[in-house]
Amino acid sequence: MEKLSLCLSSQTPLVRFNIEHQDTLAKHGASGQLINLEQLVEGEIYQFTAGGVTRMVFPLLKRMIEEGSLANPNWISLNPFGPEKIMVGGITLHHVRLDKERMKGYGQAKEAIWKAVHGIPEENLPVDSLFWQDEYADYTYYNRLFSELVLKLDQENNFDLFYMHDFQQLPMAHMLNNFKPKIFRWHIPFNESLIPETWRPSLSSYFNAYDIVVVSCKRYLDSLKNFGYKGDARYIYPYIDQTAYKKPPESEISKFNEKFGLKDEDRVLLVVARLDPMKGQDRAVKALANLRNFPNLKLVLAGNGSFSSSKQGIGLSKAELWLSRLRELVVEMKVENRVVFTGHLTHAELQAAYERAELTILPSVLEGFGLVVIESWLYKKPTIVSSAAGVAEIINHGENGLLFNPGDPKDLADKIATALSNENLLLSLGDNGYNTSHQYSLEQGTKSEVELMIDLVGAGV
Amino acid sequence: MAAYDFLYPVVLFGAILVATAITSKVLSFIIKGKFKTWAPVVRANFQRLVSITVWIIGLLFAVDQLGLRIDFFLLIVALLGIAILLALRDTLDNLGAKYFSDVYVPFKVGDIIKVANKSGTVIEINPIATVLLTDNESLVSIPNSLLLKEKMENITPHIWKEMLFPITISSDINLPEFESEILKACNNLRKYLDERFPPVLTIKSRSSQTVELVLTLMVKKPDKKNEIIKEINLKISEIEDRMRRKVT
Repeated sequence: MEKLSLCLSSQTPLVRFNIEHQDTLAKHGASGQLINLEQLVEGEIYQFTAGGVTRMVFPLLKRMIEEGSLANPNWISLNPFGPEKIMVGGITLHHVRLDKERMKGYGQAKEAIWKAVHGIPEENLPVDSLFWQDEYADYTYYNRLFSELVLKLDQENNFDLFYMHDFQQLPMAHMLNNFKPKIFRWHIPFNESLIPETWRPSLSSYFNAYDIVVVSCKRYLDSLKNFGYKGDARYIYPYIDQTAYKKPPESEISKFNEKFGLKDEDRVLLVVARLDPMKGQDRAVKALANLRNFPNLKLVLAGNGSFSSSKQGIGLSKAELWLSRLRELVVEMKVENRVVFTGHLTHAELQAAYERAELTILPSVLEGFGLVVIESWLYKKPTIVSSAAGVAEIINHGENGLLFNPGDPKDLADKIATALSNENLLLSLGDNGYNTSHQYSLEQGTKSEVELMIDLVGAGV
Repeated sequence: MAAYDFLYPVVLFGAILVATAITSKVLSFIIKGKFKTWAPVVRANFQRLVSITVWIIGLLFAVDQLGLRIDFFLLIVALLGIAILLALRDTLDNLGAKYFSDVYVPFKVGDIIKVANKSGTVIEINPIATVLLTDNESLVSIPNSLLLKEKMENITPHIWKEMLFPITISSDINLPEFESEILKACNNLRKYLDERFPPVLTIKSRSSQTVELVLTLMVKKPDKKNEIIKEINLKISEIEDRMRRKVT
């Protein structure tokens, strides 16, 4: 079998840079040379971007390279601070930049699309006529910039396949307009009833320019077919590299307790999610306020803004706004002493957080999948999951998790109380979750992804 | 004296060539300015036609200054031309028809058309013929010349709304920026266009010199179609000019 040559694109870059790329080059005396990420200091110069796309895609590419099925993949993403090109683990990362004005327009248009798909009212742009707004022209500019770079790289590399990740990149196949195989992975929820009527012809032609469209669960697949996608539609449940999640030493847990003021007798409810109203942290705070019978209960909200919210990213301010709204809510609900905002956690801290937690919650209003549930299962932690999350599809209520209605904080409070009051239930939910987690491993994911690519490109590759 | 006799016609020959080049450029510039609302492809071809004509006349004058007989030269060119026309009559017929169908774009691949008692989906348009896939899955090849002679009906749903603008830009022009400018210009005409179908720019082909594009718009009411075509052509010309100036 020959090695596959792949070009992948996503809005979110694998790494965010803390300093301008000219400074990075100067600091390492590497002007004019291709830098390898391993030469730079993690934390000081860059940090890996959180989020499902990067958590899945990077391990997938690495694993495929290790298995010998992939040669020098190219990954294009948006990165306002990053160098034009950088290498990591045999992968060439290409970074696209937008000027400030275009970035603003692009950010607003893609945010409006994101909100519509999640059923959230948009305040800044008219939704029905979004595709006629100048901001949408900036969104098109962004996609054309990516497409032109893909075509240029294709001339140099002769790729077998193009793989576009997430809704921001949807118009790319239509723009590339060539016969090479194209896969699109839609990571966010897909509910065709939420798509505005005036968007349908355009979205339909964008989707139909792909040979295969992959979604994160069965219900989105059905919805995509109802929407009118005529090509090969599939679902692959998201997956993670489970070997990266290890049991932390006691010293790490003590450090975590100390850093965030947790006492030994505290019972910890953990929510790991970026700061975004869609992640439903407010539901968890309201549920906590209903749980007065558990005085030692502490809610730990881990996570900061996404790439879109970050200053090194698109610079949208929604994470800050949401954080301040949550802080107000905590005061309103009189639970100031029972809620901990951790902000960004390092991987070591995240492992300690899972280990320290008694119960994890995914309170999302709507969620493409919810990989944090799999993560928490790896630590045998029971989870309570919003029925509106894609991951709810793999939860057998009462067996490997508990489901709750995200529109009803009282329901969440009841489920938490049920779990915390029953030691055996907690144990069995954790054990069964742990057993379920193996199905969402990198090995399983890689197998499904390689099958998909071979189906499309041909077994000879 | 002998040197003067030799040099004078040579200098005159050179001067006529220079004057021809200047005249050709000036006329090209005038055409561009005067016919901004024409489809860019039609205008470019008109410019080319005028330029070739000017060059033929200029060359004949120039050759005449050298004292060469141009009547014999003209006779050979004319006879060769007639021979080529006779030999390739049918092919040229089709190529010409293809040229006009490209310029006026009455249909495209994917449309359903009816011509000479045959109907089907257009699956290929080549320089000689247009290939249809019929409902019973047979292929019908229609010579392009027939498309100009016979009544052709495009029965694709909503086809009356569709307006296609072929655009050729230099490959030096920043395509993402050009597209973004075009889309913004179309946004200003939104009230005349069908909101369900926002403007789309598609790359048809590209070479090292040029990029061939098609802008697709869907009009809301048929009575506004002509005005919109003129307005859009004007906008395309303006944007292209502006961006070309940026490059140079």
